[in-house]
Amino acid sequence: MRRRIVITGMGAVTPLGHSVQEMFSNLLAGKSGIGPITRFDASKFKTTFAAEVKSFDLGNFVIGASRWANSGVNSQFAAAATQLALDDSGLFSSGQIDRARLGVYLGSGEGIQDFPNMISLIALAYNPQTRKMDFPCFEKLGLEHFKGAQEAEQELHTTTAHLANHFGLEGPNYNCLTACAASSQAIGEAMEIIRYGDADVMITGGSHSMIHPFGVTGFNLLTALSEFNQDPVRASRPFDLNRDGFVLGEGAGMLVLEEFEHAKKRGARIYAEMTGYFSTADAFRVTDSHPEGRGAIACIAGAIRDSGVPVEDIGYINAHGTSTQVNDKVETLSIKKVFGAHAYKTPVSSIKSMMGHLIAAAGAVELITCVEAMRQGIMPPTMNYETPDPECDLDYIPNKAREGKPRHCLSNSFGFGGQNTSLVVSAFSG
Amino acid sequence: MAVFSRRAVITGVGVLTPLGMDGNSFHSALVAGKSGITPITNFDPANLPVRFAGEISDFDAKNFVDKKDRKALRVMARTIHLAVAGAQCALNDAKVDKTKLDKTRFGVVFGAGLIAVELPELAEAARLSAHGQPGNIDLKMWGEKGLGAVPPLWMLKYLPNMLACQVSIFHDAQGPNNSITQSDVAGLLALGESFRILSRNHADFMLTGGAESKINPLSMTRHCLFEDLSRENDNPQGASRPFDATRNGMVLGEGAGVLALEELTHAQARGAKIYGEVLGFGAAFDQKKDGSGVTRALNAALKEARVAPADLDHINGHGLSTRDSDRREAAGICQGLAGGPGVIALKASLGNLGAAGATVELIASLMALEKGVLPGTRNYQHPDAECPVEVITAARPVKKNCFVKISMDQTGQCAAAVIRGGPL
Repeated sequence: MRRRIVITGMGAVTPLGHSVQEMFSNLLAGKSGIGPITRFDASKFKTTFAAEVKSFDLGNFVIGASRWANSGVNSQFAAAATQLALDDSGLFSSGQIDRARLGVYLGSGEGIQDFPNMISLIALAYNPQTRKMDFPCFEKLGLEHFKGAQEAEQELHTTTAHLANHFGLEGPNYNCLTACAASSQAIGEAMEIIRYGDADVMITGGSHSMIHPFGVTGFNLLTALSEFNQDPVRASRPFDLNRDGFVLGEGAGMLVLEEFEHAKKRGARIYAEMTGYFSTADAFRVTDSHPEGRGAIACIAGAIRDSGVPVEDIGYINAHGTSTQVNDKVETLSIKKVFGAHAYKTPVSSIKSMMGHLIAAAGAVELITCVEAMRQGIMPPTMNYETPDPECDLDYIPNKAREGKPRHCLSNSFGFGGQNTSLVVSAFSG
Repeated sequence: MAVFSRRAVITGVGVLTPLGMDGNSFHSALVAGKSGITPITNFDPANLPVRFAGEISDFDAKNFVDKKDRKALRVMARTIHLAVAGAQCALNDAKVDKTKLDKTRFGVVFGAGLIAVELPELAEAARLSAHGQPGNIDLKMWGEKGLGAVPPLWMLKYLPNMLACQVSIFHDAQGPNNSITQSDVAGLLALGESFRILSRNHADFMLTGGAESKINPLSMTRHCLFEDLSRENDNPQGASRPFDATRNGMVLGEGAGVLALEELTHAQARGAKIYGEVLGFGAAFDQKKDGSGVTRALNAALKEARVAPADLDHINGHGLSTRDSDRREAAGICQGLAGGPGVIALKASLGNLGAAGATVELIASLMALEKGVLPGTRNYQHPDAECPVEVITAARPVKKNCFVKISMDQTGQCAAAVIRGGPL
């Protein structure tokens, strides 16, 4: 029999609060974390708003925050959410823990680039007459102006390394960056690491912020972001006919996954059981999802098969629901294909309507939302749902939280490049 | 821990390196003791403190990929070019009939690093938004005018998951797909994860490994600021000296190392040539910075493989050529492989190929088992009491059919894989 995996701790730092409880009650109340961008002057960008994490100070979360003095907010959010999840799990207050059997698998984003230096130095090394760049000139300026310690922190492996060093996590240490599917995929692979026996406990989830000039530039160029600048709170409208793109968010969600016997032995409180995971590729285009949902269907079906739960027992779907035309249509199509007639009886919602899209961190925060929905018996709404789209005809829990007792939930995450990941989480039944 | 019985074998290799662009020429060059480290020619590094690297000087991805895929190369950075070309080589070498592969059971897992933007792409936008002062730009101007001067698909050219995604698109690989971003150890972690994916029956055929190039103005400038690089510009071929007492930093390089990894019965059914089998894998974190993480990764891999140190032909080390990394690795090897064989450290000839390094080096050992000759380690002249490992310096005949590959990075991530040579 394969090893069972339970969730024994959770932590979140999000645009809707600095704890799981605060975040979830705001989601139930239909509050929005979206507003004008304050991190930099975005007033002339095509999109001027996002869902920022408010008044964050890492020193309020961890002792020894100076370790992260040169890190971007992505690493700092990860540290704060990890501390919350570890405290919540009681792992380090329950006697001897074998640190070598305690690992990390994150889906965390890159660090924050030094935009002002980068752009100004490129300009100084560029000759508009010849339209050529003088690389030695750029090198000289770069060596003078870039700050080494900050540059180092942009590297993709530094977030998990800080966590392992700070919290003493000596087991397997991974980060994957599969665009918007990253933290879901990290959680799935962390499950597999415990199932196989490569570790007993994994700290997993993700963190990200792309609310910086390069991030907004990149997504604006791809025309992926909503440009509903006149009313940011109403901009993210998953499954609504008039949706016009996603809203950038930022933050971190972390979970402590633990092998069941390990958790039982130390008397841990068990929130839920991780039962299903699958990942696929669309293998279609870097920009668009496969129009018939080929990869998404295989992924959702694979995760449900892995869980052993009959589809009709899935009581809630936390959708990827980005509020782009293509995603919401293809995701709806894919759910219907896998669930058949039962699709219409299964509540689906997208918290991105309130929180925006946390990119790499989205899946982790959405999985935590599923756990809370099962524990509290109430599911968060899809806000800003006003005009039905004939191609999106499921029950999206429009505009108001709904009571209900899902025993099993599906959480979907899909990303640029054709990445698909689905997770199934189940109420713990002993 | 052998919960599953599905076995994973290597049936194809794709290797793009400063010392050869296929398995045979790569192996010959290593055995001949050649170095691939040269002055940088791909761009002008005149003002950098480091002006040499393990550079591939004549790489053009167009020569490797299908004609129908050439247009797509325009939206890929050089790192991604190396990945798709390396993957194509591995697939060719595996001689697999793609029409007979179940595409939903064909996966891709790659190791990848941070990809530097190509500076000229941002030059016009920068000109429109800067004031001629370092660190000073006008974000309003950028939003209004600069942004529009950047190519529309700009960001997709640099996302680290595009190595594995572009490979999946080229070959219609619809199975599990992941991108692991743990610096120099990323490629070996990707191999380990692919091994687990095959074993848990989520795929039958995987393309896995890593690719990376930091040989560009931005990456080199940045890395000169925070990385421990050798600055022996007048001695490129002698600069990388793993485990040598006089070592003084690593040398950066570029390349791709891709393996076709396949479930054993799937490979046998199509009569594939088998280079070797992945017998065991382990990963750990060296939090105490004393090499104990390396030891634990090694112990886990050997235990799973049911192989003793004495059964190994050689240890294929990480051998970074920095003071700290080699000392830790040596300590880890002494603890974990007591009674084991000597070490080869191929970064002496290639430089540090980043996410590509571990699988490129692993392929060197696979080719050695195949050809019966193991290459030696260049530039090792002064034993270091802090690195009490036996370094194999001269090429020698292969004596046993197993080896272990170690990979690590400077922040503490470590991995080890035990491989047995074919045929099985």
